[in-house]
Amino acid sequence: MARIGVFVCWCGSNIAGTVDVEKLREEAAKIPGVVSASDYKYMCSDPGQNSLRNVIKEQKLTGVVLAACSPHMHENTFRKAAVKEGLNPYFVEIANIREQVSWVHEDKERATAKAVDLMKMMVEKVKRDRPVEDVKVPLNKKALVIGGGISGIQAALDIANGGVEVILVEKEPSIGGRMIQLDETFPTLDCSSCIMTPKMVEVNQHPNIKLYTYSEVEDISGYIGNFKVKIKKKARSVVEKDCTGCGECWNACPMHKNVKSEFNLNLSERTAIYVPFPQAVPLIPVLDRSVCLHFKKGGKCQKCYDACGPKCINFDLQDEIIEETVGAIVASTGYDLMDTSMYGEYGYGKYKDVISGLQFERLLSASGPTEGVIKRPSDGKTPQTIVFVQCVGSRDPEKGVPYCSKVCCMYTAKHAKLFAHKVHGSQSYVFYIDIRSTSKGYEEFVRGTMEQDGAIYLRGRVSKIYEDGGKLIVKGADTLSGNQVEIAADMVVLATGVIPKKGSDKLAQMLGISYDKYGFYTESHPKLRPAESSTAGIFLAGMAQGPRDIPESVVSGSAAASKILGLFSKNEYEVEGTIANVNEATCVACFYCRRVCAYNAISKKEIKDRSGKVVKVVASVNPGLCTGCGACVNACFSKSIDVKGFMDDQIYAEIKALAI
Amino acid sequence: MKTVINEQNRRSFSSQVESMLHDKLAKCYQCGKCSAGCPVNFEMDYTPNQIIKMTELGMEDAVLNSKTIWLCVSCNTCSTRCPKGFEVTGIMDVLREIAEKKGITSKAEKEIQMFHEVFLDNVKSNGRIFELELVGKYKLKTRHLFRDMFLAPKMLEKGKLKMQGEKISGLNQIAKIFKDFE
Repeated sequence: MARIGVFVCWCGSNIAGTVDVEKLREEAAKIPGVVSASDYKYMCSDPGQNSLRNVIKEQKLTGVVLAACSPHMHENTFRKAAVKEGLNPYFVEIANIREQVSWVHEDKERATAKAVDLMKMMVEKVKRDRPVEDVKVPLNKKALVIGGGISGIQAALDIANGGVEVILVEKEPSIGGRMIQLDETFPTLDCSSCIMTPKMVEVNQHPNIKLYTYSEVEDISGYIGNFKVKIKKKARSVVEKDCTGCGECWNACPMHKNVKSEFNLNLSERTAIYVPFPQAVPLIPVLDRSVCLHFKKGGKCQKCYDACGPKCINFDLQDEIIEETVGAIVASTGYDLMDTSMYGEYGYGKYKDVISGLQFERLLSASGPTEGVIKRPSDGKTPQTIVFVQCVGSRDPEKGVPYCSKVCCMYTAKHAKLFAHKVHGSQSYVFYIDIRSTSKGYEEFVRGTMEQDGAIYLRGRVSKIYEDGGKLIVKGADTLSGNQVEIAADMVVLATGVIPKKGSDKLAQMLGISYDKYGFYTESHPKLRPAESSTAGIFLAGMAQGPRDIPESVVSGSAAASKILGLFSKNEYEVEGTIANVNEATCVACFYCRRVCAYNAISKKEIKDRSGKVVKVVASVNPGLCTGCGACVNACFSKSIDVKGFMDDQIYAEIKALAI
Repeated sequence: MKTVINEQNRRSFSSQVESMLHDKLAKCYQCGKCSAGCPVNFEMDYTPNQIIKMTELGMEDAVLNSKTIWLCVSCNTCSTRCPKGFEVTGIMDVLREIAEKKGITSKAEKEIQMFHEVFLDNVKSNGRIFELELVGKYKLKTRHLFRDMFLAPKMLEKGKLKMQGEKISGLNQIAKIFKDFE
């Protein structure tokens, strides 16, 4: 016989102000099976919890209903209190009479009636509760980090320093990502490569980190604690263990005119066998077979091979597939710059001296195509007047994206500052809509660019850029003085907006994590679970999640790492027991459940007889992946799936309680 | 209005203003607090913050021919409230001075300019203001002889209009100030 206790919480005046808590208590006492009904000002307080425990003990309760706030708030609190008195935690049910009643209604009488209904439903549910045990999943204590930019590097180092093995996969020939392309960083003007290369080297030397560059994740399956990963290691055509990075091969390569350097964003050329930049990690060249004469002209050219001392160039190397099992994953795939060709009025691509912000970084960089001397791409002359245009692509729902790319205000201020430092007597103009400089030292940095370095800021967007007599005529507006402004510039730098890295959506589908309409990975909760993806065991870091600057990327990398180290501090991972359960006797193996499952949690299971013959195929739920959402329950034609804690008889009883 | 920025002209004008003002135009936030509090803003063609921005952009003609610089009554509300401590009143003074030196006469606010001239003449000869003389000269100059006539009895009653002017003792020092600026 059920012995149910009902506890009504006032939540101060939050509930008691709108719901007649005494009436609710009286109504509860009338329900058959309820042996105790009480109300208290704050059930979540220590005295409130103690009274709950006392009643459970004294009345020998078999189930507890709390008419209180949302289970998101205090379900755990009350479950823990119940467990202390020997009750199964799933025998605690909550009727949400705050978020679903008192906060959304005004009429006290009707609100009370609704609260009574919700409470009655929960009493009927708890009567039919069966014990549910949490599921334990074993953990493979190894992590995979996808993307070797600053956030991925930070995550890998933090995890590795915590004593856990890490596999770092990077698509490009070297790690370093976008940050290593930058010259100096705001707001301290630290040289980017000076602060980045030590971290890159540390990754390469770390005993706990296995680094795969020029590699891509091909396939991922499994679930938290047990992901099976296939990594494609693209053929480098260089035997890595023998290469010394001496550079003889790329010096000998005859292809040094026609191939644009991706690292320098087409501002310089590279050879067919190349390292993207001098501080590359690992310093092992990659042979680009799409342009190499050896591959294009039937093996005639092998100048690099002839020049190579240790003879580590091997034209026959093939792509390799490496399989690994990991317990957790960090997705830190980074960003790309938006294509700005939709702005015909700005002439990017048409005028050589209209460049992107990232290209300007390369012009500023000592390792860049001009060795740090600012030169126009068209004629190599040093510009005297540069116009910077902010929000190109960003904050433009018509042609670009509506969001703010966050870093452009700061890097443009930095560009104008560095330009003033490098070219004395020069002048920069910055067209902006708003200045967003909200982190520590940022506002002062931007003001410094205006007040000390003389950059002129004009509030307005540029309408058109055209060439006239060797100058770029920029037609813009200064909305503060209400004027149309025309400036003759030597160079124009577009603060191009950022978008997720190409292919990051494909990776998300492979990982089974969600992303927003722009392709940025979405966090499990935007405020309270910012490091977690929607799938257990997969964490997010860096710009893949949305626009952010270097400090924030580093923080997010560390956050993901700390989550993983926390996860790995136990030997098993506990999943809530309220997950789907298949009745194998009635399952007809239609696998409609599999089609509706958003978490790839359902697989085929073969039931074999003693001789090993398959007698039946049924659906099987992977407890590591199932979130208990119930989509499969609705989809199942043969009524063979139930979610524990939400069985059909419980739901029907709830509905009946409402109908009475 | 359309402005073609000529880098050389812009620099020479803005640096002239900055050196006379002893302040930097780039300091201005363009927050508009000066314009928000200005008691004569409703009559101005450009708000005070626009004048600052236009000066920075080197829009010399527009600024020097504006009504704003003459309408400013130097009440200092703007400068007192400016979050950056920018000399808003000061820039109006500087711009009036440059306009005067260049012989630019404001078409719309001719009389204000005349008043400034009469006022300074008065100070130059007396070392302080002799209201009756100031009013008389101003009326002769503007030829509005009977305008505001009815204010005279009230001013007399309150002792604001004296029949006889006074000269201060250190007139030679006043002369020196004028000499330094002329």
